[in-house]
Amino acid sequence: MSEVIVVTSGKGGVGKTTTTANLGVGLAQRGKHVVLIDTDTGLRNLDLLLGLENRIMYDLVDVTEGRVPYKKALVRHKKYESLFLLPTSQIKDKSAVNPAQLMVLCDELRKEYDYVIIDCPAGIEQGFKTAIAAADRAIVVTMPEVSAVRDADKIIGELGRAEKDNISLIVNRIRPQMVESGDMMDMSDIDDILSIKCIGQIPDDEMVVTSANRGEPLVGNPKSQAGIAYDNIVRRLLGEDVPFMTFAKDSFFSRLKKALGI
Amino acid sequence: MARELIKIKGGAGGFQLMIDSSAELADVQEELEKKLSEHPEFFPKGTEFQLVVADLSKSVRSGLKEFLTDKGLAVTAGDRKHLRRQEQHGSSGGRGMQPPVQAAQQSFQSEGGSRLTEEQQVMTVINRTVRNGEEITSQGSVMICGNVNPGAKIVAAGSIDVRGNCRGIVHAGAMGDYQAFVVADRLMPMQIRIANLIARSPDNPEKSDYAEKAYIKDGQIIIEPIER
Repeated sequence: MSEVIVVTSGKGGVGKTTTTANLGVGLAQRGKHVVLIDTDTGLRNLDLLLGLENRIMYDLVDVTEGRVPYKKALVRHKKYESLFLLPTSQIKDKSAVNPAQLMVLCDELRKEYDYVIIDCPAGIEQGFKTAIAAADRAIVVTMPEVSAVRDADKIIGELGRAEKDNISLIVNRIRPQMVESGDMMDMSDIDDILSIKCIGQIPDDEMVVTSANRGEPLVGNPKSQAGIAYDNIVRRLLGEDVPFMTFAKDSFFSRLKKALGI
Repeated sequence: MARELIKIKGGAGGFQLMIDSSAELADVQEELEKKLSEHPEFFPKGTEFQLVVADLSKSVRSGLKEFLTDKGLAVTAGDRKHLRRQEQHGSSGGRGMQPPVQAAQQSFQSEGGSRLTEEQQVMTVINRTVRNGEEITSQGSVMICGNVNPGAKIVAAGSIDVRGNCRGIVHAGAMGDYQAFVVADRLMPMQIRIANLIARSPDNPEKSDYAEKAYIKDGQIIIEPIER
């Protein structure tokens, strides 16, 4: 039983690629055979987050145009043997791949791998339509910001029109302190508008930036809140029932304030 | 403001075309062209207009008929008896022009609602959330069993009922029906438009937690809580 999952958001910069990389690594850590496909042709990043840029020989466009079999273009992860990346071209643009080609490719990959995760480009144009075409399931990534939630809403509508009904939500970059003080949308505000099943709440974490720069996704890293949150999502994808983390961890200063009675 | 030469009203009894009897054919045609192109989705081919005007000159009448027929639309003369009754009441509307509110009451009272066209009787029911970027239009009324999210737009010739949160833009009585209204379990839209009036949300919106109704009273859109 293999599954094709598309990670999408509408708005750029909310963490689609980071999420794709972390879910891929997380699933591979649990022994699953995973392929990650970058469909952000012309603006590829997924290879950077995985630290695989220097290993790329062929790309998605070479495969869909029939120049090489997909096996030749897959890049095996340096650390996790069962994780592969299918990078896209940095020279071509989104028109280089069409939905039918990606569907054919995914049908082939389905036979060999447990999970095919597609990293979708921002926007609702052709690149988005191509990326979602083959998916059985969609994960919408958003942030607790009005514009990101608004765009996620649009994307959910688009997915519905494309008859993708299995949609779940990941809320990224939550800042618990701001939520607590009422300066940031909380989960109920987001759920009020989007009303789809949430499978992940990820706190904002500086370590995400350092891990991206090093090319080592932080999923499962017990020192990082985001790493734990990503690991929880992976477990939920595998069917485990994992409760959501509570972020209300008092900082030193808030404890001090409380003690002083301010 | 110059008086409107023509008015299209989609109420009980089909689309009614009201024309100022003193108008020139060319002006009427120009105005009509503008109105029709504003909302093309409301006027599919074959739509019938009822001409509601007592003393329109023959040349204007036939010219108009030709103009509409060219566009694939049809025009029928309003029935005399109905017209005469409207004239008796329509003192404030000027020559041959009816304020829509009165006209709507008229046709409802005199016909008992029995002459509703098929399209207007149909209520569009949307059984899901209407999301950002979606637009629902209807020649009748609309009921939404779900939310209307910010960025969504509902346009109806009749009234709008939202069984959920209403945060988008809602336009009831889009063809000029001042009697149209908007009801929602939680009414906090970006804008409410009824007929040709617009009300926008306050800049610091409050969360409402009871059902409300928006309608026109004394030429203004007002909102009040309702039981349901």
